[in-house]
Amino acid sequence: MSRLASAALAAALTFAIGSGAASAATEIEMFFPVPVEGQLAKEMKRLIERFNTEHPDIKATPVYTGSYDETNIKTRAAIKAGRPPAAVIMSANFVLEYQINDEIQALDPLVAAGGETADAYMGRFWPALHGNARFAGKIWAVPFHNSTPLLYYNVDHFKEAGLDPSRPPATWAEWVDAAKKLTVRDGGSIKRYGVMIPGNYDYLGWIMTALTMSNGGLYYNPEFGGEVYYDSPSMLGALSLVDDMVHKHKVMPEGVTDGKAVSTAFFAGQASMVLLSTGSLSFIRENMKANYAVAFVPRNLRNAVAIGGASLIMPKGLSEEQKKASWTLINWLTGPEVSGHWSRFTGYFAPNKGAYELPEMKEFIAKNPDAKVALDQLQYAQSWFATYNTVAVRKALEDEVQAVLSGKRKPAEAVKAAQAKADEIMRPYVEQTALKLPN
Amino acid sequence: MVTMRRASPAALLGIAAVSAVVLVWSTPLLWMAIAAFRPQNFGGLDMAALWPDFTPTLANFAEALDSADFALLYLNTVVVCLGTLAVQLATVTLSGYAFARLRFPGKEWVFYGFLLQLMLVPPILIVPNLITITRLGLYDSLLGIMAPYFASAFGVFLMRQTFRTIPKDFEEAAIVDGASWWQLVWRVLVPLARPGMVAFGIVSVVSHWNEFLWPLMVISSPDNQTLTIGLASFTRGAESASQWGVIAAGTFLVAAPLLTAFALFQRQFVNSFLFSGVK
Amino acid sequence: MEGAGLVAEVESRFATLPVARRREAGLRRRAEVRRAALLLAPSLLFLAAFTYWPIGQVIGQSLTITTFGTDAVGFGLGNFRRLLADASFGHALANNLFYALGTILPSVALALALAVGLQDATRFNAALRTVVFFPVLLPLVAAAALFMFVFLPGIGLLDYHLAKLGVPSTNWLGNPDIALWSLVGLTVWKNAGYYMLFFLAGLQAIPLDLYEAARIEGAGPWARFRRITLPLLGPTMAFVLVIALVNVITQVDHVVVLTEGGPSDSTNLLLFYIYQQAHENYDYGKAAAATVLSVAGLLALSFLSLRTLERGIHYEA
Repeated sequence: MSRLASAALAAALTFAIGSGAASAATEIEMFFPVPVEGQLAKEMKRLIERFNTEHPDIKATPVYTGSYDETNIKTRAAIKAGRPPAAVIMSANFVLEYQINDEIQALDPLVAAGGETADAYMGRFWPALHGNARFAGKIWAVPFHNSTPLLYYNVDHFKEAGLDPSRPPATWAEWVDAAKKLTVRDGGSIKRYGVMIPGNYDYLGWIMTALTMSNGGLYYNPEFGGEVYYDSPSMLGALSLVDDMVHKHKVMPEGVTDGKAVSTAFFAGQASMVLLSTGSLSFIRENMKANYAVAFVPRNLRNAVAIGGASLIMPKGLSEEQKKASWTLINWLTGPEVSGHWSRFTGYFAPNKGAYELPEMKEFIAKNPDAKVALDQLQYAQSWFATYNTVAVRKALEDEVQAVLSGKRKPAEAVKAAQAKADEIMRPYVEQTALKLPN
Repeated sequence: MVTMRRASPAALLGIAAVSAVVLVWSTPLLWMAIAAFRPQNFGGLDMAALWPDFTPTLANFAEALDSADFALLYLNTVVVCLGTLAVQLATVTLSGYAFARLRFPGKEWVFYGFLLQLMLVPPILIVPNLITITRLGLYDSLLGIMAPYFASAFGVFLMRQTFRTIPKDFEEAAIVDGASWWQLVWRVLVPLARPGMVAFGIVSVVSHWNEFLWPLMVISSPDNQTLTIGLASFTRGAESASQWGVIAAGTFLVAAPLLTAFALFQRQFVNSFLFSGVK
Repeated sequence: MEGAGLVAEVESRFATLPVARRREAGLRRRAEVRRAALLLAPSLLFLAAFTYWPIGQVIGQSLTITTFGTDAVGFGLGNFRRLLADASFGHALANNLFYALGTILPSVALALALAVGLQDATRFNAALRTVVFFPVLLPLVAAAALFMFVFLPGIGLLDYHLAKLGVPSTNWLGNPDIALWSLVGLTVWKNAGYYMLFFLAGLQAIPLDLYEAARIEGAGPWARFRRITLPLLGPTMAFVLVIALVNVITQVDHVVVLTEGGPSDSTNLLLFYIYQQAHENYDYGKAAAATVLSVAGLLALSFLSLRTLERGIHYEA
């Protein structure tokens, strides 16, 4: 054979073998959001690259889909278009809706195939996270990263105002008192606010949940996705606190302050205390020039917050190979090692208890006590609110809270209006479930 | 066209007013240009300062380029804009000619039927259009973004105008010379209608370059994203929250080529509108 | 050849007969109609697929009533009733009206003023025109990203420089009274340059001798503007108004990126409302009903404005 011909043959064979090998790898797509500051998208892509190297028979593509809300929209659109992603990191409180609409796989068969019972499988995650992942008798999601709200405060400002930074406000009374001392006024305007909370959609609802729960409230019915308790004393109290901070004590800015603006203000020293997610912890730790510390969300009646964060779900409509590949990816991402790494990188706490047994994590916690605070608050954490049509029901409240923040509504009428709107939104579901009576 | 005008006080006032407006107009872009090169300063209160009193850095650009594959985003957007335009030119020229020169029953009503599309832009009809695109197998493809725009009522309107302004003598002369109908269109009318086509081309490219909502719904893979989607993810994702320098750099990367192109070809842009019959 | 000439003569004599002439004209007419059909076919194909069929779908969807949890499907005006009972829809409608007035009037007026002011072909003017046009080339999402910083309370571009003039910090996007107007400002900044381009072209078409004649007759600059410039810019103005109107309805990118309709619905616009109903609330019935009402309103408006446009163009030709 001539040299040219043999070279051509070799090339053809290589090509054939190469493409054959490539076609053996199962291709899957994973949608993921980035809801907090930091280089999360880049880091996720790096993680997936590592996964692909370690699993040559799978080719996972990470698709960055914006915020939690946007990821929800994109996933829905993809499912409707018949091209569901193999896995999605979905905001933990949206999982219920997907189950109600029969759009995701129950994971029990896959758990069983791995030789574990459902209880054993869930046992490796913190108890506070179970409510959003396992309900209606089945496992629907695997927790990926979770957070709670934290009170971040500027230690330098505390010292300046004569407050003891090692004793951050633990009750609402102490909180308001500290805020008043920390607010710096200059004539008619305010140079520095004592408190700031994020007022944009999704964040605001989450913070309100924490405040309502700290006021003894349940916020929603965790056993039935058709009931919320907006028009209740616990929420009225929480909303009135916020209203007072803005309009009576004047320690919080009026109107809606976007989460980004809150963190910018905290960096710039224009806010002394902020309620933000633990997810921003690493970002703040790396970039904050002034001294800061973190504390539990102040309580009125009890310490209680809602968890935040996201879990991995598997949409329906996948082939068997895709399901298996997706399950491998999901378990890899939620294993102790990766879970711990992601937690240290972001500030989210690792849902997998095993992550905290690993030496890297123990060392990290020892060096960074602020990371421990979120973990400690976990014992007071409850599930994130999830109902039929969660986003709309959430916005029904948020719109009213925003109106209160802007001075357009009083808390009493706001909670009533929010309740009415939420009930209206959930009516189709309620009429087919709780209100469906035998003929 | 240089006109000699004496600098009357009214004229000077006018110039001052216009200059003031333009100065204010340019501040966001000026800030973008400066902030893109400013070193990141978390907690810096002077982020909005327009005076470049710092040592410029390319770190923001490096980070922006790292966060999104701008080259690919650019390529996709160019493909979408030029691809759409190519098909549009074909459809609108043919239809524009039909409305301008041919007579047929119900012409006025068919024309109004076309104009319906001016208001019924794809984003309004998102849900059914998404279903159609999916059924055609075009979901998550660049072609899926382009398809609903292949017929353009605006273009037909513009081309009809353009053809109307071409005196019939050209056509009659060509017919006398024995030209077939096809040669008439291709050799005579299209060259004469070029300004109109250029004007339409500019409008079309500008509008598709800017498009966001529709591509957002159609595309899901990162490989097929256009500039707008890539930039939106990049700035909205709290990924770069508080990193305004990086956001400025990213926006700069998106805007710069276009701005340069316009600055160089400004005269052609304006002239093409003049001759398109839009007076 | 002689035979051909004879045939031709007979044919031409024939052709002058009324019946034959009509038949020939009929043949020509049908050929013309066929040609028209052929030329219009491509456009009509795409229009059918992406405009007419979807509109039919939407109308159908708006009249379809589904019940959660069942496959039952009913028909009626229930979606419209729910739509009109939804306060958010009313807000979106009212907001869009204010938004339309707030953006169209200033951007068109500004565009005209800038076009008139910068029409001379000097390099200085060319530079200024470029600056004014720049925002047009920026995708709205990019402009929104920039303006996120512009509107940041306290540290953002606006507040920072206004503070130097003693103006207190304002929550441009977080105050429900101001948020919509902040978006209006962004839109005017974004679009005025585009309309200015059209006016520039229109101005260049006005013969200079008209101005000369007027000047000789002693008419001042304002009178010249009112008597010559404005009337002759009529068609351009109508054209720009149609484009501006379409933009008002179809550009909601900044709402999506900056405010998501908030705070408290104050920046909710029609198209955003539709998008929200469809993609966040999965209420396709209401989204379709809102689309039908919006489209009906738009059609009425466009019909009116295009009538004016047609008349203006005919006047020119």
